[in-house]
Amino acid sequence: MNNIFVRHKWDPYLWILPSVLLMLIFVIFPIGIVFRLAFSDISRAGVVGEFIGLGNFISAVSAPVFPTVLMNTLIWVVSVVGLSTLIGFTAAMVLNQPFFGRKIARSIIVFPWAASLVIQASVWNYIIKMEYGNLNNILLNFGVIKNAINWRATYQIEFIWECAIGIIVTIPFVTFTVLSGLQSIDSSYYEAATVDGASFGQKLFNITLPLVRPSLTVSTVLNIIYVFNSFPIIYTITKGAPANKTDTMVTYLYMLAFYDQKKGPATALSVIGFLILCLASSIYMIVTMRKEEAL
Amino acid sequence: MKKLVALILAVTVLLSVAVLAMADDITLDVIIAQYGPKTQDWFLGTAMDGSNFKAKFEEANPGVKLNLEVVSWNDLYTVVSTRISNNNAPDILNIDVFADYANEGLLLPVSDYCPEELYKDFFPSFIQESVIDGTVWAVPDLASARALYYNVDLLKEAGVEAVPTTWAELEDAAQAIVDFYGGEVYPWGIDMTTDEGQAAFAYYTWANNGGFVDEKGDWALNSDANVEAIEYALSLVKNGYTNPNPATQTRYDLQDMFGAGKLAMVIAPNSVPAYIAEKGYTGVNFATASIPHNEGASSSSVGVMDRIMAFRDDSADQAARNEAIGKFLTFFYDPANYVGWVSMEGFLPAVNSAVGALVESDPSFEAWLSVLDSAKFYPTTKAEWNDVKQGVIAVEQSALTGGDVRQLLDELQAKVSAK
Repeated sequence: MNNIFVRHKWDPYLWILPSVLLMLIFVIFPIGIVFRLAFSDISRAGVVGEFIGLGNFISAVSAPVFPTVLMNTLIWVVSVVGLSTLIGFTAAMVLNQPFFGRKIARSIIVFPWAASLVIQASVWNYIIKMEYGNLNNILLNFGVIKNAINWRATYQIEFIWECAIGIIVTIPFVTFTVLSGLQSIDSSYYEAATVDGASFGQKLFNITLPLVRPSLTVSTVLNIIYVFNSFPIIYTITKGAPANKTDTMVTYLYMLAFYDQKKGPATALSVIGFLILCLASSIYMIVTMRKEEAL
Repeated sequence: MKKLVALILAVTVLLSVAVLAMADDITLDVIIAQYGPKTQDWFLGTAMDGSNFKAKFEEANPGVKLNLEVVSWNDLYTVVSTRISNNNAPDILNIDVFADYANEGLLLPVSDYCPEELYKDFFPSFIQESVIDGTVWAVPDLASARALYYNVDLLKEAGVEAVPTTWAELEDAAQAIVDFYGGEVYPWGIDMTTDEGQAAFAYYTWANNGGFVDEKGDWALNSDANVEAIEYALSLVKNGYTNPNPATQTRYDLQDMFGAGKLAMVIAPNSVPAYIAEKGYTGVNFATASIPHNEGASSSSVGVMDRIMAFRDDSADQAARNEAIGKFLTFFYDPANYVGWVSMEGFLPAVNSAVGALVESDPSFEAWLSVLDSAKFYPTTKAEWNDVKQGVIAVEQSALTGGDVRQLLDELQAKVSAK
């Protein structure tokens, strides 16, 4: 009975076994299936055929719209992650200052995050509608404009709307990750700096930024993954139309798989997306970790 | 302790033998497409005189059980292809397409399971739409036809005296509406979305003696008539005669605008009155007319047909399964059941025996049935149809952003014929 308290070498493995099993069943196994499908011939009816090597990858990448889709994905990820980080960081700085109504302001900024993305995208879709859209209604009622404006006159403008909506819904996440980082900074650093006569800029670049870097790293890496994989905004507003010109990788591969019934190339694209994400995240992690070590 | 275990084992064995002995019932996996909010209720709820299709069928056909599922159109293709990938195809499927399944050898010929008497009841022209290499692979479950809907009051206000029948008249009418209402009312609705952009292709090319295929049935996507037709449709957009965003405004958006009195004319299916009533739009005074055509060409309606098909099972009791599938069809198309089903969501029937009862309950059916008679259907029996459908939508959308119609159609034709 008493050897129940003796530590065995395999003890820790036993404890992590449930998580490992869950990972295997719900993460590794599905990834394995996707990789298998990506190298197999899948008929439109859904029959999985033989192994065809890189055939699916070649047909996915050689599609005439693929460069456009890739470019859109790049614009989408860089603009949404970049701008939401910039704005979210600024908002976190402001919310970290004591001011009247700070609690209310902090809760208001969570709102966009609390609502589901599909609902937000649908609401924005109504706001910018030309026929009965809220934006046109408000402007017309206040006499700012005389005739309803088509807020989505070209696909470029539609894509800008999609990026803008992406930024708005991503800001809360950045704000709160950075805010938690800011709150952990000891205020004595700032007091000492103030005594030494440091300017706002000096405090920002020499105290704040280095000390929130870990939380900023986490928020940026997670953001790159979320935004890259984000589907509801684009699917709700344009569905990639016209002719895939507003598609990103994820919406494009969805349309490919479930509208065009080309599951092979679609699976290949999802493997490519997975690899791009692994690469991007690891580069970012390595670069920032090196900087941290250098500190 | 051991005795107890032995006892439990013995009882279990006995029970399983008993269950096996009872398993003479045939269970059919059935997937039904969700046509509207009432579909689920009719098949599985209480919309069939307080009961439902499944319960009534099982009561009338002892020995056959239904494992029936109603699936929304958004998920239908994914559900079916996933089940096929997992070797778990349904026994009976209700969907629109069938060529891919037939070409893969997944379907049973209709002659294997459809009772002779029922087979003769289908409209022959409908059956012809499900033939590949001389074999009938599916039966029609219902159909709908498209026509021009116009807002009588809006046209009258704007001084348009007669409903446009030709493209030139359509342009004149649209101009009159623009002149009278400014941007308040869109004269003409166009849907070039991924939802149903292929319908727009049909509306304009068929009204110009063009179309997806030539007389021999070969793909003829880049014919001069087609180029002219699509360029005409685009000119309507560019001249400001249409809804502003045809690439993202679906037919349902257009039907909503039409119901709200914001759109004067739109080509839509015969279910529009039901749609408008259900959405609660009031005060729209509308009527129907034939789809406008080019000078020298004839107007033709666009018919859309869905199907029921049976999947090969390769089990030992195939003969018994075929008989069960036949029972399912016989019960479904029995006028006592079928008439309620077709009229519930405002569709048109696929069997002769239902016509009398339907016309009796709603005289407007008669006109639609004659429209259906002259309707053309999409070439869904051709293996490349799915690529063509996506392809013409991409052509329309690329042309909307400034692409050259002839060049785009040439590329599509080359791509499709290369297969």
